[in-house]
Amino acid sequence: MTTTAAPAPERARRLAATRNGGQMVAEYWEDLFTARERGKQIVWYNGGAINPIFQAAGLAWCHGEAFAARLAAQQLEGPAQLAGAEYGYNAELCSYSRTHLGCAVLTVQGDEGANTGVVGAHDQAELAARLPAPDFFVNNYAGCSTGQQWDEISYRVFDKEVPIFNISHPFLWGNRPDAGYLKGEEWESASHYVRDQLVDLIAWLEKRTGNPFDWDMLRESMTYIKRAAELRREGLELCKSTPAPATFWDWISAIAPINFLPGNQELVDYFQSVRDEIQHRLDNGISGVENERYRVYFDGIMNWNKLGFLSRKFAEHGVAVVAGRYITNAFWQEPQLIDTEDPLLGMAQHYLLCPTNHGTRTLDYLTLRDCEEYGVDGIVFHSTRTCRAFTGPQRLLARSAQNTLGIPSIFFEGDVADASFYKDEILESRLTAMLEAIDVKRAQAS
Amino acid sequence: MSSGSAALEALRAAARDPRSYIRAWRSTHPGQKVLGVLPMNFPRELAHAAGVLPVIVPDDQEPVTEGRAFLPEFYCGYTRNLADQAATGRLSDYDALFVADHCIQLLGATDVARELDPARPVFLGQLISSLNEPWAVRKTAEMMSELRSEVERLAGVTIEDTALAASIRAFNRDRALLREVFDARRSGDSAFSPVELQDIVAAAQVMDPDEHRELLAAVLRDREATARDERIRVHLSGHLCHAPRRELLEVIEEAGAVVVDDDLWTGRRYLQASVPEAIPPMEAIAQWYADRNVAMPCPTRVQHDVDWDEWLLDSVHRSGAEAVIHLMPKFCEPHMLYYPELRRALDTAGVPQLLVETEHEGIPLETFRTRLEALVERAHRNRPAYA
Repeated sequence: MTTTAAPAPERARRLAATRNGGQMVAEYWEDLFTARERGKQIVWYNGGAINPIFQAAGLAWCHGEAFAARLAAQQLEGPAQLAGAEYGYNAELCSYSRTHLGCAVLTVQGDEGANTGVVGAHDQAELAARLPAPDFFVNNYAGCSTGQQWDEISYRVFDKEVPIFNISHPFLWGNRPDAGYLKGEEWESASHYVRDQLVDLIAWLEKRTGNPFDWDMLRESMTYIKRAAELRREGLELCKSTPAPATFWDWISAIAPINFLPGNQELVDYFQSVRDEIQHRLDNGISGVENERYRVYFDGIMNWNKLGFLSRKFAEHGVAVVAGRYITNAFWQEPQLIDTEDPLLGMAQHYLLCPTNHGTRTLDYLTLRDCEEYGVDGIVFHSTRTCRAFTGPQRLLARSAQNTLGIPSIFFEGDVADASFYKDEILESRLTAMLEAIDVKRAQAS
Repeated sequence: MSSGSAALEALRAAARDPRSYIRAWRSTHPGQKVLGVLPMNFPRELAHAAGVLPVIVPDDQEPVTEGRAFLPEFYCGYTRNLADQAATGRLSDYDALFVADHCIQLLGATDVARELDPARPVFLGQLISSLNEPWAVRKTAEMMSELRSEVERLAGVTIEDTALAASIRAFNRDRALLREVFDARRSGDSAFSPVELQDIVAAAQVMDPDEHRELLAAVLRDREATARDERIRVHLSGHLCHAPRRELLEVIEEAGAVVVDDDLWTGRRYLQASVPEAIPPMEAIAQWYADRNVAMPCPTRVQHDVDWDEWLLDSVHRSGAEAVIHLMPKFCEPHMLYYPELRRALDTAGVPQLLVETEHEGIPLETFRTRLEALVERAHRNRPAYA
């Protein structure tokens, strides 16, 4: 039997600043839920952070994965997933998509929901049923092939009545010898291909909304986002210190703001406060984990059901999770690419830099680089049950880390938005074993 | 053994043991390359025109052993089998691997093959999958041109348009003959069992097209049409990129059903579309890619005005199928995503259906048999005698 009781005592020292982000995000969702009443048109989208374009187009936006993640983090994913299951979606399907499509099913059912007998969610004040129906779909999914198919199915769930725009992203496979991270002909041609599609998207939105696109607004919001991303990177850099002043879990808490909140001064202020708190901790010798003993890299998409729990669990073992693919190599992670006067190319490049859109060779480079720079003792792979995109290269990465850097790793099973796949005993026993192995290695070296 | 039986045996051998076929081909084509093609849309004509044998790498139905170390258990059976083939050296018969489709699980397996044998070329020429876009035709043409160049690089030759046109004709002739067999089955001929047909198509995915066509023609000369019996007529749907287990096909017919049509990878999905011969060959190859999804919709493609559910209903109507069996490989996400649309359409039309999740290993045949028998019973009740 799986037990999920939180370990005690509390050794995780989470950043206070991220709480403000939580409030900003909560206000964002409340704003979205009432967008229709305020006469806003609404776009549902998936994939890369294309929200600055929606902001400049005067739309309200709902990121499907983010909404599914939020439901899971609040333990409210059940009604949507049940509606999806009743509709026919298999439990092994990407739980982001399954949750989001369940929301679509509930939304389509609308006021009829109470009569369907499906889940009764519509009669409840459940978040799942509060999502306003879309006026448009935009798919901006790189990396995972399921992403594009998912929005196509959303389009069909809404009986093809909601216009959809798809952006196609080449997978950065690395066919040629010159291919690599941020370089090579493949990177250049893919960047311009996606950039050109963004131009087409903007024209499409202008036609559909009847409003001229506000290019100044795009430049302005991208200026704020670029600054926020720079501050985020500065904060991440500070976390290379030993002991780490903040951890992966703090950065997980800060994903939503960088991923889909509007580009504005408030966003910059938020990341300034995060960065400053980390600097303050460094200046005052405060670590993110009390008595940090181990430094670990986390590879995998987040298990949103277990954010607080996992934070405490790792801290209980004296483990500072200092970096991870989902944090270090995602979410406007290369702000120097953004030209705020002409931001489309840099935006396109960030969509291509989705951490599931690289061949293993590039991921190997990024993982080993981060492990070295953050002084990592071990890697924890979250074998994310319904996310084939993130999990595909993990075994190869584990092999490379061991063979190249002598870094051990463990795997534990969980999922992005389906708590049923998480097995606490497996993580506990494997983590303990890896930490013991690290102790032995240290003892042998001393 | 009659010539027809011998020909069928040769096809079966190629389907079930492609490595032996490859080795035999190499012995008669010294110095020529063998290309491993991963499903679903790489145009084999390009490789054939360069003197390369393009073999669609099949699930070889071997248990997954060392491959388990490289892909998670929640990847589909085909991709785990591919990883196992890579891990155990069973891909060594191929001089290179080419893939033209963005399936994240397939790319995961392909990356395992690339990492474990860095010396072998592994090329991704990603065809656009969103087919309604204004730029889809242009991007398809560009990628086909890139694939052509890459094949030329592999083979060390220049592909002449005349050679490509000849290859197109060769594959078209083979597909046309296969289509005759499948059309006959749809019209009431049950001369071939589902396993025999699967072997015939699987052989086409491995063999030189002319050789395959000649063998198939010999089989057909020797095999008389057989009127279908009164079992429940079923359509098999799914298994988009590899073959279902043969024993599953056998159980379906043992349970009182007769397969009258399908949209399987080792069935109609492979042969449904031909490459146009009246237009320049590179243009034709690109057109073929666009036509394929119209001729038989695939949930891996995004095309708003093409519906697998409608296609399935039309197909059921054409064949007179009384029930549909969905063969869904476990963890196949495009199939999982589209399945509710299929279910809804068939339910609305009153067509009985059964979802069977298939796995690479450990198929619970007796459980399936019971469920299939229940489907057959249900379909029987739709017959006039029960009305």
